[in-house]
Amino acid sequence: MTNSMNEVINNVKNIASQVVINEIDEREIKLELNEKEVINVLSYLKGNGFSHLSLMTVVDWIAENKFEIVYILFSWETGNKIIVSTKIDRKEAKFVTIKHLWPTARFYEREIHEFFGIEFKGNDDMKPLFLEIWDDIPPLRKDFDPLEYSKKKFPDREYEKDVIHEAKIIRGDING
Amino acid sequence: MDERGIWEKIADKLRSKSLWMLHYCTGCGAMELPPTMTSRFDMERFGMGPMATPRQADILFITGYLNTKTLRRVIYTYEKMADPKYVIGFGSCTLNGGIYYDSYGTINKLDYYLPVDLYIAGCMPRPEALLEAFNELMRMIRNGEANGWKKYKENYEWYKNNQLRSLGEVYVHDEFHE
Ligand code: SF4
Repeated sequence: MTNSMNEVINNVKNIASQVVINEIDEREIKLELNEKEVINVLSYLKGNGFSHLSLMTVVDWIAENKFEIVYILFSWETGNKIIVSTKIDRKEAKFVTIKHLWPTARFYEREIHEFFGIEFKGNDDMKPLFLEIWDDIPPLRKDFDPLEYSKKKFPDREYEKDVIHEAKIIRGDING
Repeated sequence: MDERGIWEKIADKLRSKSLWMLHYCTGCGAMELPPTMTSRFDMERFGMGPMATPRQADILFITGYLNTKTLRRVIYTYEKMADPKYVIGFGSCTLNGGIYYDSYGTINKLDYYLPVDLYIAGCMPRPEALLEAFNELMRMIRNGEANGWKKYKENYEWYKNNQLRSLGEVYVHDEFHE
């Protein structure tokens, strides 16, 4: 762990009451925070070198009934990377926007809204980004069944079973 | 198919010698096109070349997976092309969905939506397979067998219903078209 990282971690511990720290390697750590404190931590990190939002995404923990919102921040000065994550309730799929911190988050939030059905308070632009005329539950939720949807919407070709071909394989005339 | 007149036969012969190809390269199979076009295999010696616009193209060449979003654009493109027009489906994704057969977005069977004259199987087919297919298409055109564009007109209802079943509607609504 580099010195600058240690300093950042200490400061985060002061800001947030609960934080789980996972050291992934020399230049990469993951901070798991609670819902209320994550925005404070993000704005602190943004002001202290981690100005680049590399990615914002969501993991669906269906057994726990949680959505994990993940922000990946990068520092151009030190090359360090911090993954900030928080878990929200899956039923009450709502969170606050970080559009005011990183304007690009607007598009990540649109995408997440579309694929996981999470609302972002403060982001009024929740139009679909990729899907067109979508008519089912958001497709990246774990309880969505893509195969069934595909069968319903995009019928497949019916193949007839070639019995003679199979018999030849069984008899050893040709290699299967 | 109905008997072709002598002029039609001559026209078909000439058509098969000068084909302009519009390539809709959404899938990974598109990777095999550059070597086919450039000096290694040199597609132009067969009288085929790439074309940038649908209105001037004869062949719609679709490489690989199409999803609902791109299918809408492809249908637009196909309907813009002038007759006679031919469609080649390239790679197993156009045949049966390929490795994306269970995806929520990827269509499984291109010939439900557009009349496909020729499929090239494989994931992904080599440039040799491509050239083989082009030769075959030329033969089909000369013999008057590449009749997809007529089929599309005759069975328009069927195609349209399939398109609507999978797409909801064919019109494109997005930030860039409104
Ligand atoms: S058939 Fe294979 S190579 Fe072609 S687009 Fe599909 S996955 Fe890619």
